[in-house]
Amino acid sequence: MPQTKLSIRIDGELVQAFAGETILTVARRAGRFIPTLCHFEGLRDVGACRLCIVEVSGSGRLLPACTTPAQDGMAVTTVSPRLAAYRRMTLELLLAERNHLCAVCVSNSNCELQALATAMGVTSVRFRYRYPKLPVDLSHPRFVLDHNRCILCSRCIRVCADVEGAHVWDMMSRGVGARVISDMNRPWGEAPGCTGCGKCVQACPTGALAEKGLAVEEMTKRGERALQGAIRQGGRL
Amino acid sequence: MSRIEDISTFNAVREAGLEKMLPGVPRIAVGMGTCGRGNGAEGLYHAFHEEIHGGGVAAQLTGVGCFGPCSEEPLVNVAIPGKPMVILRRVQASDASRILSDAAEGRITPDLAWCRVDEWDHITAQLRYGHGFPELPLWREVPFFAGQKKIVLRNCGLINPDDIEEYIAVGGYQALYKVLIDGHPEQVIEQIKASKLRGRGGAGFHTGIKWEFMAKAKADCKYVICNADEGDPGAYMNRNEIESDPHGLLEGMIIGGYAMGCAEGLIYVRAEYPVAVHRLNHAIQQAREYGLLGENIMGRGFRFDIQLVEGAGAFVCGEETALIASLEGLSGRPRPRPPFPAQRGLWGRPTNINNVETWYNIAPIVIKGPGWFTETGSMKSAGTKVFSLVGKVRNTGLVEMPLGTPLKTFVYDIGGGAARGRSVKAVQTGGPSGGCIPQEMFDTAVDYETLAQLGSIMGSGGMVVMDDDNCMVDVARYFIEFTHSESCGKCVPCRVGLDRALDVLNGFTVGTGALPQLELLGELGGMIRDTSLCGLGQTAPNPVLTTMRHFRHEFEDHIIGQRCNAGVCGDLALSPCENSCPLHMNIPRFLQLFQEDRMEEAFDSILMDNPLPASTGRVCQHPCDNRCRRQTLDDAVNMREVHRFLADSMLGSDRFEGMLERVKVRKQPATGQRVAIVGAGPAGLTAAFYLALLGHAVTVFDSQERAGGMLRYALPEYRLPKAVLDREVEIIERLGVQFVFKTQVGTDISLNELDSQFDSVFLSIGTWKESWVYLPGTELRGVIPALPFLEAVAKGGAPDTPLGPRVAIIGGGNAAIDSARTALRLGSQATVVYRRERKDMPAIAEETLAAEREGARYLFLAAPHRIVGNAQGQVKALEVVKTRLAEFDASGRRRPVPTGEITRLECDSVVLAVGETVDQDFCRASGLTLNENGAITVDRFTLETSRSKFYAGGDVVTGASNVSNAMAYGKRAAENIDARLMGAGRFAGLFQRFEYEQIALANPSASPRRVSHELPASVRVHGSDEVVIGLSKPEALEEARRCLRCDVRA
Ligand code: SF4
Ligand code: SF4
Ligand code: FES
Repeated sequence: MPQTKLSIRIDGELVQAFAGETILTVARRAGRFIPTLCHFEGLRDVGACRLCIVEVSGSGRLLPACTTPAQDGMAVTTVSPRLAAYRRMTLELLLAERNHLCAVCVSNSNCELQALATAMGVTSVRFRYRYPKLPVDLSHPRFVLDHNRCILCSRCIRVCADVEGAHVWDMMSRGVGARVISDMNRPWGEAPGCTGCGKCVQACPTGALAEKGLAVEEMTKRGERALQGAIRQGGRL
Repeated sequence: MSRIEDISTFNAVREAGLEKMLPGVPRIAVGMGTCGRGNGAEGLYHAFHEEIHGGGVAAQLTGVGCFGPCSEEPLVNVAIPGKPMVILRRVQASDASRILSDAAEGRITPDLAWCRVDEWDHITAQLRYGHGFPELPLWREVPFFAGQKKIVLRNCGLINPDDIEEYIAVGGYQALYKVLIDGHPEQVIEQIKASKLRGRGGAGFHTGIKWEFMAKAKADCKYVICNADEGDPGAYMNRNEIESDPHGLLEGMIIGGYAMGCAEGLIYVRAEYPVAVHRLNHAIQQAREYGLLGENIMGRGFRFDIQLVEGAGAFVCGEETALIASLEGLSGRPRPRPPFPAQRGLWGRPTNINNVETWYNIAPIVIKGPGWFTETGSMKSAGTKVFSLVGKVRNTGLVEMPLGTPLKTFVYDIGGGAARGRSVKAVQTGGPSGGCIPQEMFDTAVDYETLAQLGSIMGSGGMVVMDDDNCMVDVARYFIEFTHSESCGKCVPCRVGLDRALDVLNGFTVGTGALPQLELLGELGGMIRDTSLCGLGQTAPNPVLTTMRHFRHEFEDHIIGQRCNAGVCGDLALSPCENSCPLHMNIPRFLQLFQEDRMEEAFDSILMDNPLPASTGRVCQHPCDNRCRRQTLDDAVNMREVHRFLADSMLGSDRFEGMLERVKVRKQPATGQRVAIVGAGPAGLTAAFYLALLGHAVTVFDSQERAGGMLRYALPEYRLPKAVLDREVEIIERLGVQFVFKTQVGTDISLNELDSQFDSVFLSIGTWKESWVYLPGTELRGVIPALPFLEAVAKGGAPDTPLGPRVAIIGGGNAAIDSARTALRLGSQATVVYRRERKDMPAIAEETLAAEREGARYLFLAAPHRIVGNAQGQVKALEVVKTRLAEFDASGRRRPVPTGEITRLECDSVVLAVGETVDQDFCRASGLTLNENGAITVDRFTLETSRSKFYAGGDVVTGASNVSNAMAYGKRAAENIDARLMGAGRFAGLFQRFEYEQIALANPSASPRRVSHELPASVRVHGSDEVVIGLSKPEALEEARRCLRCDVRA
């Protein structure tokens, strides 16, 4: 069945889209850069990080590009002072939420959060840092989970459930108390479902999930392609 | 068991129900909702049960739901055959037997009777009780009910919720029968659309449109869901509706199911509502037995059933997608829309979700038609809404009001206004994610659009009234704390944003905030609102954003002034009394030092906080009393009288010189800076005292001959003997302050001259202009403004114009009372004419009473109409027009309106005491920036005017106020002027430390509050001797021992 063709405007430019595609997909194909963190190519989108918000004319609300389907005749704005301010604030909040002392992180200079913060000019955080003292799960023979670096994007949960089919990960508790858990909140190393495939580690945007035995800056991931590309280009935002 | 198959079986059930509703014996119905139970309804029910069954009394006992007025629970309805049903309030178990014996004799127990119901409109049917008991008000004549319209609550508190037959008796299931007989589901949807009914759960989406969307969705199975997961703290309308009338909900859902083509209904109810769960289960069971649920409903071939699901009750489950997730057994987290539930909802099937209250509106619309429904409410928001009115009003409870009713109706008419001595300052609508609407905006119509424009929401209908004891910063903090703990944690703005907003707010309440954080908070609030995934995050910032918009000054008070005027933020105040004292006197400290018999130190503590302690000890409005925590036991500590006692015993004793030496020791070395103070009133004297202590060369200019301002020239000798004031002025003089009298700034010396001769200038002239009323006859001889009159008497004993034997005084403030009492002392008769009621008078209540004892007369609810003169142009009479109190105005008091009824008051002179205004001439001539009232504009915290080096405070800034407020300006001016001249921090260094006991009193003195003695009225009106004689030492000491030491921290 041939796909229905739509045309939408992105930042004034007329672009082709297909019914069922999200604004994010269309915009990226058209070469626009929209920052994302919870989106991961190939995984179902959840609209959690709110970095990909865009303005859609006719809608009073800001909509997440990753979950909003393109509609014929839609006019989307991906860059505006308000969007930039809100996106920066979102990053500030993420940086304040846990512990993101990059200088001592395995993912330093390979981290999507850090890359976006740099690219978007987040030079200081105006909120007080929460610095909760969260545990580090070292029970798995090959991987570590450091909750202090986790941004609760749920990419690990989705890749494990939807791609590997292992359903090891889940989210527990509410609000700022929310935390990623493995297998009914047992140590990762004791999770019978874990196949040790390492997909979650690769999907994780930060240093929260990493391979064991690495030192600062040593953890590189085959993460989000589009974003990695942007990072390499020096983040033209 | 009678299964309803057709009209005759249906009618038979109705007849059976009517027998129960109107039995041949008295029907006693006890309100047994959760709220009634909490107030002892169960015990009450048992007491009736014992009496009736034990004593063989002919009466029918039943339990009903809740009728609404929480503050009057428990309620009992008594219906004697042929007589009106009477609502009894605050009934105790011990009242049961006399209620029954009275009812047996056809009487109603008078002391418990509240109001009567002759007939009741159940909307779906009318019930006539009877006539009689004319001495009782009709239910809708009671202010709490007046204006209410019960559509949703039509059956609540009247029928037995556990008995389907009673529901059917009052027209229940007739709407269902009607739609099934008609057989046109699409017409039902048309009717709902035409009724403009909007979802009552919060967002206000049009119900008919939602239904239509759903009816069009094709699927093998569709669901209708009732969201009964009431999660707002303080909101309990849904609980009450279900507990009082469960079948009303079922009927609405069955009709909805029929209209939308669904066979399955689910009610998602909070597990924390056991009574509601129990009643619903019972009602579903009964409905199945009567053929109203299940196969072949009412013999019309329609199949529909309802299941009850008990939810864990998370706030976020009010969000439709989160609720669906929870029903599917997943954790209650919202997901992005589209797809909408009507497309893919529960188990991927089309799903319609409506709130409890929405469902209750369905049957009435079907029976009465959409036209009838839109008659009630406003243009865009038809019908009624149930609100829970709670907080700082006299009457609280559940009220059902037409949409579009102004807020002030809720607060003042239904709620009865604030408690005595308090004033309402805001209403928070819509639950934890609603906004605060300030008192100035109480004309606001309560409907979806208008509330949204003000940054608030309708939400579930919560309405929390706040008065001046509520701190708006704390209110914002409280609600954010709630929503923050209810955030599901999925999206960043809500999860982290609310948490950091709470952190900022916490900082404000403990005094560690800074102004840039206030801006940051505003930006953060907007960001959370605009970018959150679901309704929880999108609305959660409302309380912050609205309080920041309407009560920004309170935020600034916390951040800049380090003060919480409401006294809620404990870290920003020493004790309630210290916090409410304009001078922030350390009251518990001097009370304690006094108790430790350290009189000298007690006095030093007082004087350093308040340089006019004996004068204020007599004439201060003592706001400290209002907040004293001792009031919760009996009465406030009489702090003013204690400091008067301590001041009197020091100032009048030979220890005066020693005290003065101790004060002089605290004087800082000379700084070489010169400060001019314009005005030797309370503000000027206070500033002079502190600035002299700080080592500056202070010169005070005043147009009068002596220092004291209003204290000397407006307050009569009998209230404040001038010898007392002289002694206080002496202290200030001997600290080196220079006084230049009979010098008018502006005429004798210009501001430019002051500018060139001094390093800083403080403008603190008092209010010396009497406002004039535009009244025919004011040109007559014998019409006298109050202030010049009082001044003339204070100076030399006799006014310029003789008063004659009878004086009329127009006004209700302190100047009016002082004028009356002065007139009495001059041998005249005095009548005070005031347009409102006694309780509205701004004058100090003790003074009003004292004047009355001396023979002053009052004429309330009377406005001056015209002054009548004789042929010689001399006052002969005052004509007054009787007033009536109409609706509430912006001051929260009822507005007096003239009735046209005119009476004449024969008199020989008229004193105008209608209020003082700022000396506009002075202000205008000053060349400084003025505000819209013509007063000088200053920075609220530093008192700087628009001209560099110039500060202003007191009446020139606020308009007429009182002594302690004026002095507070003087104190603040001294601190800021010094900081400007010398750098910050020196002011705090003036104050010495005292070591004294720091133990909160486990058992304070049990004595009642001491009031000071007065000279007998018959003696005092013949002279100008001081009327109020202070406390004796043992009395003052006993009074001090009553203090609870709120300043001691655990
Ligand atoms: S561990 Fe990594 S992938 Fe998983 S939720 Fe946290 S940041 Fe996202
Ligand atoms: S009990 Fe004492 S400390 Fe507390 S408010 Fe009253 S006077 Fe002040
Ligand atoms: S990428 Fe769209 S919300 Fe996270």
